[in-house]
Amino acid sequence: MIGTEFKRTRRPRSLSIAIVVALYSLTQSQGVETRVGDPKAVSEVDFQRDVSPILRRHCDRCHGQTNQEAGLNLSTREGLFGSADSDEPIVVPQDAEASLLIARITDESWGDIMPLDGSSLETHEIDVLRRWIEQGGHAPESLVASQHWAYEIPADPEIPAAERFRVRTPVDAFITKRLPEVSLDQSPRAEIGTLVRRLSLALTGLPPSIDDLEAMESHSSDEAIEDYVERLMSSKAFGEHWARHWLDLARYADSNGYQADQLRDSWAYRDWVIDAFNKGMPFDQFVVEQLAGDLIPDANLSSRIATGFHRTVTCNIEAGVHPEANRVQQVFDRVNTTGTVFLGSTLECAQCHDHKYDPFSQKEYYELFAFFNNTPIEVKKNSGVQYDFVGPKMTLPMTSPQQSRIERLNQRLVDKQRELKRRVEDDQTQAHIKKVREALEIGRAEWHTPPPQFSSTGGEDIRLLDDQSVLITGSVPGTATYEFRFAGDGQILSSIRLETLRHEELPGGGPGRGDAKRTNFVLNEIELKIQKGETSEHVTLGDAKASFSQLKWDVGGVIDGNPKTGWAIAPRFKEEFWATFALVEPVQVGRDEMVVITLDQQFGRGRVIGRPRLSLLLGPRETAGLTDDIVELLEKNELNGKERKKLHEFFAEQNADVQQLKREIKSIQNEIKTISPPSTLVMVESDRPRETHILLRGDYLSEGDQVQPATPAVLHPLDPELPRNRLGLAKWLVDPKNPLLARVTVNRLWGEVFGRPLVVTAEDFGTQSEPASHPELLDWLANQFIDSGWSVRHVLRLMVYSATFQQSSKLSPRMVAVDKENQWLARGPRYRLPAEAIRDNALAISGLLCQKSGGEPIMPYQPNGLWRSVGRNQPKWIASDGEDRYRRGLYVVWKRAAPYPSFVTFDAPDRASCTVQRPRTNTPLQALTLLNDRAYAEASVGFAQRLIKELPDASSRDRAIHAFRITTSTEPNEETLGLLLQLVESESKRIEAEPSLVDQRLSVLPGKFRDRTTARTDVAIWSSITSVLLNLDQTITVN
Amino acid sequence: MNFVLPTSRRHVLANSGMGLGVYALSSLLANEDQASEPLTISKNPLAPKPTHFPSRAKSVIHIHMVGAPSHLDLFDPKPALQERHGELCPDEMFKGKNFAFLRSQPTLFGTPNDWGFRKCGESGMEVSDLLPNLQGVADDLCMIRSMHTDEFNHGPAQLFMLSGFGRFGRPSLGSWVTYGLGSENQDLPGFVVLITGNVLGAGSSAWGSGFLPTVYQGVEFRSKGDPVLFLSNPPGIQDESRRGIVETINGINAAALKDVGDPEIATRIGQYEMAYRMQTSVPELMNLDDESKHIHEMYGTTHVAGSNGAGKVSFANNCLLARRMVQRGVRFVQLFDQGWDHHNSLADRLPTKCKQVDQPIAALIKDLKQQGMLDETLVVWSAEFGRTPMAQGTNGQGKKTSIGRDHLRDAFTLWMAGGGVKGGLVHGASDDLGYKVTEDPVHVHDLNATILHLMGLNHERLTYRHQGRQYRLTDVEGVVQRSLLA
Repeated sequence: MIGTEFKRTRRPRSLSIAIVVALYSLTQSQGVETRVGDPKAVSEVDFQRDVSPILRRHCDRCHGQTNQEAGLNLSTREGLFGSADSDEPIVVPQDAEASLLIARITDESWGDIMPLDGSSLETHEIDVLRRWIEQGGHAPESLVASQHWAYEIPADPEIPAAERFRVRTPVDAFITKRLPEVSLDQSPRAEIGTLVRRLSLALTGLPPSIDDLEAMESHSSDEAIEDYVERLMSSKAFGEHWARHWLDLARYADSNGYQADQLRDSWAYRDWVIDAFNKGMPFDQFVVEQLAGDLIPDANLSSRIATGFHRTVTCNIEAGVHPEANRVQQVFDRVNTTGTVFLGSTLECAQCHDHKYDPFSQKEYYELFAFFNNTPIEVKKNSGVQYDFVGPKMTLPMTSPQQSRIERLNQRLVDKQRELKRRVEDDQTQAHIKKVREALEIGRAEWHTPPPQFSSTGGEDIRLLDDQSVLITGSVPGTATYEFRFAGDGQILSSIRLETLRHEELPGGGPGRGDAKRTNFVLNEIELKIQKGETSEHVTLGDAKASFSQLKWDVGGVIDGNPKTGWAIAPRFKEEFWATFALVEPVQVGRDEMVVITLDQQFGRGRVIGRPRLSLLLGPRETAGLTDDIVELLEKNELNGKERKKLHEFFAEQNADVQQLKREIKSIQNEIKTISPPSTLVMVESDRPRETHILLRGDYLSEGDQVQPATPAVLHPLDPELPRNRLGLAKWLVDPKNPLLARVTVNRLWGEVFGRPLVVTAEDFGTQSEPASHPELLDWLANQFIDSGWSVRHVLRLMVYSATFQQSSKLSPRMVAVDKENQWLARGPRYRLPAEAIRDNALAISGLLCQKSGGEPIMPYQPNGLWRSVGRNQPKWIASDGEDRYRRGLYVVWKRAAPYPSFVTFDAPDRASCTVQRPRTNTPLQALTLLNDRAYAEASVGFAQRLIKELPDASSRDRAIHAFRITTSTEPNEETLGLLLQLVESESKRIEAEPSLVDQRLSVLPGKFRDRTTARTDVAIWSSITSVLLNLDQTITVN
Repeated sequence: MNFVLPTSRRHVLANSGMGLGVYALSSLLANEDQASEPLTISKNPLAPKPTHFPSRAKSVIHIHMVGAPSHLDLFDPKPALQERHGELCPDEMFKGKNFAFLRSQPTLFGTPNDWGFRKCGESGMEVSDLLPNLQGVADDLCMIRSMHTDEFNHGPAQLFMLSGFGRFGRPSLGSWVTYGLGSENQDLPGFVVLITGNVLGAGSSAWGSGFLPTVYQGVEFRSKGDPVLFLSNPPGIQDESRRGIVETINGINAAALKDVGDPEIATRIGQYEMAYRMQTSVPELMNLDDESKHIHEMYGTTHVAGSNGAGKVSFANNCLLARRMVQRGVRFVQLFDQGWDHHNSLADRLPTKCKQVDQPIAALIKDLKQQGMLDETLVVWSAEFGRTPMAQGTNGQGKKTSIGRDHLRDAFTLWMAGGGVKGGLVHGASDDLGYKVTEDPVHVHDLNATILHLMGLNHERLTYRHQGRQYRLTDVEGVVQRSLLA
């Protein structure tokens, strides 16, 4: 019955887990005797299953079909049962000790232990080989399997009968079938608290709430658990958790990588992945949209965002890069990542030569390359040898905060413009026009440059040039005061102008005289006097303006009465300049009077002006700067509307308030311009397809034969109906006849849920891969995946509903001895959380977690000085003090050259390339992080605050129990409780002795998150206890 | 550290050197039913491991000059280039070649006349006058004038030099060595990185562990803030609280170990003890107060006596710190110094940079020697590539500037000292213009194979299985350069 019910029928689009489980339970037969005992007795070594993988893995490289070092080929019967070049027999059936095969892998006296290019065989592998020989060394006629298993379509295995064991889904039948063979027994179900926490962390990356925990503790039936699983899988956190895993594969980051490593906008893709998991998008669609969402017939905004998958590759824009070299590297990355993620195949080797072990030729590599070879270049020269990142982007709709900001600004703009209009026509302007009209009746001011009488205190040679400028040469005095005298002519003097001109006779051409290189001058003071006979009167100057002033040597210093300040012009050494000074009150200079102007230059080292020229503005100042057409309008009696407007605008310009208004309008307009809609990186096809050639040795400059887009021959054929582009490739990948996609995907899901994949080399299903621990289960799950309409949730249910998943994870000494890795699953999973989940978990426990989802990447706390790479426009790390500080780790900005430090410490990759499995290390730096990283110090204080708030009047004992339950979902045992209470006591004493510690401890939490109503001393004391809890092994572990 | 578990159910509170109560893990896993067999429950990945064959060196100090200084002006004098200064370079040196910056046919550029070369020591090795102190230890240097690499942009070339691969994703030299040999000091990381100036273009991948477990990645000791990230306690946590917290954590973890039986918990207990010890051992290491005045002067450190730390960041301090680390059993110390990419103003900038590093590097060699450590410490002076004999006079913005040199991958010089290499040796040669290698070429893979060999590791055997392949630092190439070995 099982056989028929679970026979693969392609494409019934939904397959209910309930049906699967129910049907399965119905078919349980009972009473078949199971052999349990010594594994050695029960396990007959099978050549194909047990021996061949070991030979392939360790020996094949040098003694296989491709290479036969020392003439030895262990992939044939002749080789295996023949003799070495030393005439020693390789395998002597039933006599392991006489077999050279065993000697060379165990006994150094035969020479360096094989294999020479890698680590020695594991003890259990040697044991298998020994036992196989002792059992007679049986092997089939042909040693080489006709086809590597992974390239065959998944088999349709019969679900084994699993009497005697608890079975919840067929997964359990496959798992328990192997247990007796290794003399292990199924473990009992985990305690409900542990189980609830395990489910929550495995499915959402967050711990259960206390409410959920309590609810489950009172109803722990299988049905209740299944309801709970459904709730977890429909929470937003589910998609966030599974997106994290996928983004490792997609090498998603927020920066370009390499030297410049600027930030880029691609977060819309990250959000797309989250949504796809949350919506339950069928996995085949998930694949097609990411590879070719721009090419599908109903392409839309969302499917185009999905193509960000292959725009996450690194991009080198360092000065001197060759854009084409960079492009080819990017295409390599796309091909290799496609191979790894969707085919579990390492195509990379075939970049330079035919794959050494797997059936992929170099030609086939470039045929795949051809599918990806039509996207535009992503690096462009901007100037000289600088390059910019220019790859295709797509504009996204404005976010709603952006939209409301634009609306606000537009409103302000309208207001300001209205005000401007009013001011232009207001009374002030009218009055001003009237004043100018009156002045104009006296006359119109003009600049005059009469010949001066000139003298200097410096004793230089002086020459008056035709343009009335004074050329000063000869000895160069350190300091000098120049005096200009002009005869009065009865007109009104309202401004003076100084020009500093250049001349070939000046050092370096001037304008200063100090030296030829730095031709600066420093004018300290200018003074204007009106002299009549023996008496002279000082006239005050104001409104100093200059064509340019040196930083800190502003022209205003010339009229401030302070001889230490003044006007200079570095670094614009080789230019001419002007400065004007208005008389605060214009004076009429009579014919018997002289205008005396002195220029004081006291800097020293000859920083004096080489060729000054002075001009005088004569006439009423109000009329200065009038243009002829304005004068014409002013003299007209009747003005039409247009003329009046022109006149008003001209004078409004001179009104400081109007100027200010105009500046405000400009700045609002600029601000509106800077609010650009967000964008995201996408794939697009070039109009003109590139030719693809084999690149010899992978060198982009060495082109070999031309190739066309095609798929590798060892796999299922590409449907001729499909287009030869990325869309065709994507459809080919999700073809149910693809033997790899479903297998590699369910294998990775299994690895995430159980902490160890069925095929441990999850990134490689090729001939060098480790065989699956449960090959039939792998195939069965792969078929379930396809038959359920590629439903990720369906496959996850099969896993987490299983009795296998729900077992206690405690290790017996026997388990430690024979199955430390838990490959046989005689116990439930126990593994350390991934980096992001460790932080998320701590934030959730502390009550600080903000569950806002999506949007631009965030910057929580990190130590100063970590973002220091070279490059242009480097962003700064500005830690958020608001809710962004406590959002989930998946939203933290990912800069490839400097990823978030605590994530790296907990084994997060740098995302520069595709990562299938993160390692799980256990290091002292991890301990330092959880103890001292401010992020965790904040979580400790936050947690203590939560605890005191929830239990303000409870005993220490009750608080400790509650805190332990929040953290681990279990009750502490007496020993643990004792330790916690001991610490409460010692910390209380410490705080009592040194009350200043209270403020210090609480200071880590930003003000917004501090709760001023809870007892501060208690929070300070308990923050040590909560720090302990956040550091526990069981806290950072799925138990 | 292997925890071997005896079987009796005793709680042992042993005192470590620092007085932190250490739970002997002995009793925790013991099962009364299985009385005899001790279980090895956890392997410390950084425990010292046997070499493949007897090693010449125990540790490495690898000094990488980020940006790549000119071999022509420091180590590989070219009179012919000097003579032909100003000539348009021959076609074959430019046409059809790839350069990072040169776009039109450049002129030849001789070493500026401001400095010369000198034959030094008994070996008569020629070293630039810009490095007067290094000239003094020339007889300890093993100089390779025939280096060549595959990459000519900084990021990829740095990755290639330091991980044997021009893109991201591979383990760095230091992590391979630490993976192969573990560390001699369990209170400090096995692989430490010290940086002056900005981080190099390859970023932290230059000391990353690639596909090796992250425990083998380099740990950057920073000059500002905590030397190791998160080393000091948060505000308001004093040492007694810290001790109480760590003891409580380990106590509860020990109880969990008893209950759950997962050896991983035992490892974690060990790591918390080590973290606690690091909080003392790292500041101790970084505190240069206990070095004599003579030593400080010899290196030219910026340390201020009694300052209880390392002082303002400087390359000299880093050299001295490197010696202190090696002394304490750190396996691999990687120094980076930024600022050697002289596309322009080489005549000004190169002497300035040389002044910063010459004295400390020579001091490091002399100091190691006087402490009897040079034999067991391999010092490597490296750069990602060389520089063209042709002039370049354009900066990154395309503006004309005073003359410098472009990147050159086909010939450059680097040197090693101590750790089993021949002192006073000049190996290989480049052509008259220093443009291509003419004698005994040494590829980056050859160099790395040789470094591993000196450490007692067979570069073909030091492999890690990833994606179905045995990966190694030297890809499928690399020949140990036996003529460099003492």
